[in-house]
Amino acid sequence: MNKTFKALSALLSYPSADLQEAIPEITEVLEREALLSSRARAALRPLLNELAGMDLYDLQERYVLLFDRSRTLSLNLFEHVHGESRERGPAMVDLLETYRAAGFELVSSELPDHLPILLEFAALRPVEEARALLADAGHIIAALAERLRRRESPYAAVPAALAEFAGAARSSEPVQQLLAVEDDDPENLEVLDEAWQEAEVVFGPDLNAECPVSGSLLFKMDQLPSKTCRSRHPPKD
Amino acid sequence: MSHLLDRLNFLKNRSVGTFANGYGDTTSENRDWEDTYRNRWRHDKVVRSTHGVNCTGSCSWKIYVKSGIVTWETQQTDYPRTRAGMPNHEPRGCARGASYSWYLYSANRVKTPLIRARLLKSYRKLRSSNSPIEAWTKLQEDPILRADYTVLRGKGGFVRADWDEATEIIAAANAYTAKTYGPDRVFGFSPIPAMSMVSYAAGSRYLSLLGGTCMSFYDWYCDLPPASPMTWGEQTDVPESADWYNAGFLILWGSNVPQTRTPDAHFYTEARYNGTKSAVVSPDYSEAAKFGDIWLAPKQGTDSALALAMGHVILREFHLDRQVAYFENYVRRYSDMPMLVRLDEQDGKLVPGRLLRAADFDDNLGESNNPEWKTIACDRRSGNPVVPNGSVGFRWGEKGRWNLEEKSGERDTELRLSLVSEENHDEIVGVDFPYFGGEATDNFVKCEHPDVLTRNVPVKKLKLSDGETYVATVFDLFCANYGLDRGLGGDWAAKSYDEDLPFTPAWAEKITGVPRDQIITVAREFALNAEKTEGRSMIILGAGLNHWYHMDMNYRGIINMLVMCGCVGKSGGGWSHYVGQEKLRPQTGWQPLAFALDWARPPRHMNSTSAWYAHTDQWRYETLSAREIISPTAPEGDWNKASLIDYNIRAERMGWLPSAPQLKTNPLEVAKAAKKAGKDILAYVIEQLKSGVLEMSCEDPDAPENWPRNLFVWRSNLLGSSGKGHEYFLKHLLGTDHGVMGKDLGEEGRQKPIEAKWHDEAPQGKLDLLVCIDFRMSTTAVYSDIVLPTASWYEKNDLNTSDMHPFIHPLQAAVDPAYESKSDWEIFKAIARKFSEIVPGYLGKETDIVALPTLHDTPAEIAQPEVRDWKKGECELIPGKTAPNYIPVERDYPNLYKRFTSLGPLMEKVGNGGKGIAWNTGLEVQHLKDLNGVVTEEGPTKGLAKIDTDIDASEVILMLAPETNGEVAVKAWDALSKNTGIDHTHLARPKEDEKIRFRDVAAQPRKIISSPTWSGIESEHVCYNAGYTNVHELIPWRTLSGRQQLYQDHLWMRAFGEQFCTWRPPVDLKTITEAVNASARDGEPYVVLNFITPHQKWGIHSTFSDNLLMLTLNRGGPVVWLSEADAKKAGIVDNDWIELYNINGALIARAVVSQRVKEGMTLMYHAQEKIVNTPGSEQTGKRGGIHNSVTRATVKPTHMIGGYAQQSYGFNYYGTVGSNRDEFVIVRKMKKVDWLDRPAKKEV
Repeated sequence: MNKTFKALSALLSYPSADLQEAIPEITEVLEREALLSSRARAALRPLLNELAGMDLYDLQERYVLLFDRSRTLSLNLFEHVHGESRERGPAMVDLLETYRAAGFELVSSELPDHLPILLEFAALRPVEEARALLADAGHIIAALAERLRRRESPYAAVPAALAEFAGAARSSEPVQQLLAVEDDDPENLEVLDEAWQEAEVVFGPDLNAECPVSGSLLFKMDQLPSKTCRSRHPPKD
Repeated sequence: MSHLLDRLNFLKNRSVGTFANGYGDTTSENRDWEDTYRNRWRHDKVVRSTHGVNCTGSCSWKIYVKSGIVTWETQQTDYPRTRAGMPNHEPRGCARGASYSWYLYSANRVKTPLIRARLLKSYRKLRSSNSPIEAWTKLQEDPILRADYTVLRGKGGFVRADWDEATEIIAAANAYTAKTYGPDRVFGFSPIPAMSMVSYAAGSRYLSLLGGTCMSFYDWYCDLPPASPMTWGEQTDVPESADWYNAGFLILWGSNVPQTRTPDAHFYTEARYNGTKSAVVSPDYSEAAKFGDIWLAPKQGTDSALALAMGHVILREFHLDRQVAYFENYVRRYSDMPMLVRLDEQDGKLVPGRLLRAADFDDNLGESNNPEWKTIACDRRSGNPVVPNGSVGFRWGEKGRWNLEEKSGERDTELRLSLVSEENHDEIVGVDFPYFGGEATDNFVKCEHPDVLTRNVPVKKLKLSDGETYVATVFDLFCANYGLDRGLGGDWAAKSYDEDLPFTPAWAEKITGVPRDQIITVAREFALNAEKTEGRSMIILGAGLNHWYHMDMNYRGIINMLVMCGCVGKSGGGWSHYVGQEKLRPQTGWQPLAFALDWARPPRHMNSTSAWYAHTDQWRYETLSAREIISPTAPEGDWNKASLIDYNIRAERMGWLPSAPQLKTNPLEVAKAAKKAGKDILAYVIEQLKSGVLEMSCEDPDAPENWPRNLFVWRSNLLGSSGKGHEYFLKHLLGTDHGVMGKDLGEEGRQKPIEAKWHDEAPQGKLDLLVCIDFRMSTTAVYSDIVLPTASWYEKNDLNTSDMHPFIHPLQAAVDPAYESKSDWEIFKAIARKFSEIVPGYLGKETDIVALPTLHDTPAEIAQPEVRDWKKGECELIPGKTAPNYIPVERDYPNLYKRFTSLGPLMEKVGNGGKGIAWNTGLEVQHLKDLNGVVTEEGPTKGLAKIDTDIDASEVILMLAPETNGEVAVKAWDALSKNTGIDHTHLARPKEDEKIRFRDVAAQPRKIISSPTWSGIESEHVCYNAGYTNVHELIPWRTLSGRQQLYQDHLWMRAFGEQFCTWRPPVDLKTITEAVNASARDGEPYVVLNFITPHQKWGIHSTFSDNLLMLTLNRGGPVVWLSEADAKKAGIVDNDWIELYNINGALIARAVVSQRVKEGMTLMYHAQEKIVNTPGSEQTGKRGGIHNSVTRATVKPTHMIGGYAQQSYGFNYYGTVGSNRDEFVIVRKMKKVDWLDRPAKKEV
């Protein structure tokens, strides 16, 4: 068993007194197995220290706020790729089948795509299989790391370590796609306005512009996906 | 896998065979690739369920489950067929419902019980050395510990908890509250039981066993049209949507069927194909407007003026200039139009007074039973006044004459409609009618007519016991009220439609902006169709009309049109009010379960509008005074001195409206005190109330003893969608950050109430504990102290009915509840179990004193022929007659759980019933014992039928209800037949052996069985339509006259000038003060607009408008619609961030600028969640509010009337309503959008 993943699974679980007590053991496992790079292990230290030392209620409140209440930080991986769509159910069924094929039954009340479950599963697989498994979800994990980093949360170290292990770089295209979708700066009015702007509807033939609908579609095909359709009208000088 | 290696590149398999003359070729190549497609739609099981709280569509769905996960859903298509010649019910279900399975696993779900960390920390600390109740007591009695969590409501700070601990805290809080203040300080709010009746019943059963308060919803939502109980003695009864197809002329009035009634809209389309003509009345160019052959666009809020003008045309052309025999016969038999009205002399002038009663005659006209409740008409045969059968006096105390046969006792009669013929009247006299159109807020048209209009009416002079009195028929007064000239001379009677006199089409054109020829055309065609088809003209009307302060006028204007044309009770005709449908079809089977009537009666019911008005202290800011709405023709009285809450207090004191809490003293202590004093409980209560030792809570809502202490909100988003006066809830009830910008009456130096005690300092944070039970993190959940995760609609078993179709079908658990959630039934069971566990030694068997108002459909509905206030010494205090009744009820707190889970003995002992009739249920109880099994455990419930699971609970409903048990239906009709003297059992006989079970409705939706609970029937010949049995079975309407009551004669109705329908402009709520109008001060462009909140398209009613897909289909966050003209005035362009505000608070949204919207108004679709994309307000500095942040509830005295036939209280039947459309807001562009994305400041 690769206890490192089991340890990371525990770190991403709801903080409890048990977890607080287990921090020394977790630290020891991470060092002993050294599956994570030394830099990643060092980055985990603030989180480990906080979990060990902070008031449990404050830790729990923070956890609920981050992972139960913030959609963009949901630990249910498919939330980020399938969201509320028809693909979500079948994707979870597939994942469930993966666990079953390896001889495990899900007993938690959490859904199959809950990251701590995936990590526990990874802990039970050979290292290379675990790496492949995590690499499949690498872009989501990397995006989670980036979002937590922006919030200056010490939790960022966990997904960051996993992303590094799985070889999912923050700069990779899929990660950028995910980040692009959610990356809005609430302080920046121009970006907000742009996000809300709909393509202007033009009636009748306009030789200089394509139909706005197909225009938007073409634009989307040309570009990285973005959260809104934009008009293909050339920018004004 | 690419299958590259499976594929042959250079060779071809020899054919296995050919077919189709060699055109087809059978090969044996690998076909594994097809499995991808096969598996994509493969599933393990399909379960029938639906979406069930606020969405009243009631569509049956197939839920597909694969590996224990819900994967998708599709519409069910197995509704029983309709009869030949009618379109079928399918397809039902809309895009919103189809997206629900995706929401099931949303990150927005509540996964575990959540508790405010500070509360939990304090509790655990105290709990370590105390019992649960002691710990809660200490926490509440330490003001610092209490404030520590209450001021943080709405600001995060949750931690997870387990069920055991969460239920323990709740149980401890309930026990402490019951013992310290009284069980009626535990409130529970949940709406619309019809959509998931077991889930509703779970909470209300717990509350009722505890003695807690169940709060109404239909009236609070302002979906209850008070005109319906006024006219028909019926909360709301309407045709099913299929009956639209039978209409020949269909008006949609303030209702947006394609948008808000999506699964039913196909009947509208099909009706159009069938040749039905349709007019749509809507101020904005709504989706429905596109369906109309003609679209009338009146100014918002002026609908009664429009309806009055249409009524003017119909009366003129179909009743006066030409008398349509069908119409005349209909109004004579089925309305109060032939009844006689006394004309009262006031300052030398005559005003319409009370309906003449048998008791007004020396010999009571031979009636010894209830003569003061029997109305009088002139008989054409004998020429004398007679007492026609059917009035409410016949309903109680005697049997056999409560019917609509054309008889007075054994004698055949033919009632005279009008005294207009020379030989039938003694004189022509001038009668005064109030006119309110001269005063209107700036946005509405004022008319220069005097406030009293004297019109000539033919009258008879009768010798009554109190002297000679003028009387007139309702019909003659009705015609005078409509301003029609009948050759009687005098003023204010129009000869032509073009005269500018109330209520001609020319007059209405001025007020509504609708051209007079359109008004005339629609009215004429509507009536003409009704004449040709004998009543197949229908009006679908909705919230657009009902949410105004004077909604009664809009509704009564329309009801008048329908009655004039003989449409009510006719297939394809009548009144279709589809707002917050409340058709819990198996209602009489459900009530015992829901209100624990099997254990104790009566339950505590409260009308929410009055309760929230008092407890959120909205009354402290009341700017509308009675002076502004009283009639110039009001009888003598101190009408102007009393403020609106004073009227409500009087109504509670006289036993008209319920109270919550009821007494300032803990009701568990009252019986003890009586016993100690050696007195009979009731005598003791009377004596103490009179001496003032016992005080009614309503007289001092701000005293800490009278605060609601615990509040359960389940199946509801009270704070996020339905809380009129949202900011006042936050300020006073919750005690947290709020956006109230106005000052209260004390600070403003205005006139204070005379009955309500005033505290200079208003309390903030009345609630000790707010518990929200939901499957998603709604706005209400965010503000709660404890959030319990509940099973969603595909995770529990329940029942669902609607008034849009006649079927009953289930919700079923397709999968187990996700995460830690439980069904509502299991949650309240768990709370009950915990309560019973911790309470022994603290509370035992207790005697609770329950106050009960004079209820409709009980003998108490004829308690008060006159208005008398015992406190003013106008009469004796007689409980149940001149005051609420006070009834001792035994509570068994340690056995609350056992009672919760078994069917109590009262069903066998007392029986069951509803709407004024009762029957024995011994047999059904035995059937339930056989079906559900009996309790085998030793104890007080041993041997009783079990109600352990949600399916057990469903079976109780189905077994006891006439609608789902044919045998009970026959019993119920039989009971009614005794009252009417007419045999009605033929309506249910053919279905006597039919008993619908939960497994039956799981197999297929079942059509319900006709029952006297409702006024329509289920049959192979007609669609369900309201009033059908009144017209065809001659069962009286449950009103004073027993007929459709168009004349309202209660003292308060006369005081407020609403005997008849009239035009009342929206009221002035004075919410745009100079102090609040920052834009005017800063010299910035702004515009003041009327604020309208219709139902939205992208959300299941008020649920989950935070669904990402729904948001994507709209603009992704809160939006407000403006007209182009108004936007221009305020310098706003489409998509700008704008702020809407007034003294009630502020809200932030994006502007949608559209030609669709009428100038002068702004639309905000209701229930857009505060938790989604809402920045901070510049005005309040807090996160921009919800649509109700700029509203405040304002109550209307005429809705408080009680003890007076149809105007008597009933839960969700009558009472004050939370209107909100008379409101105005300042609209301006925001300077700076602040998302308030900073960490909260650490407080010291």
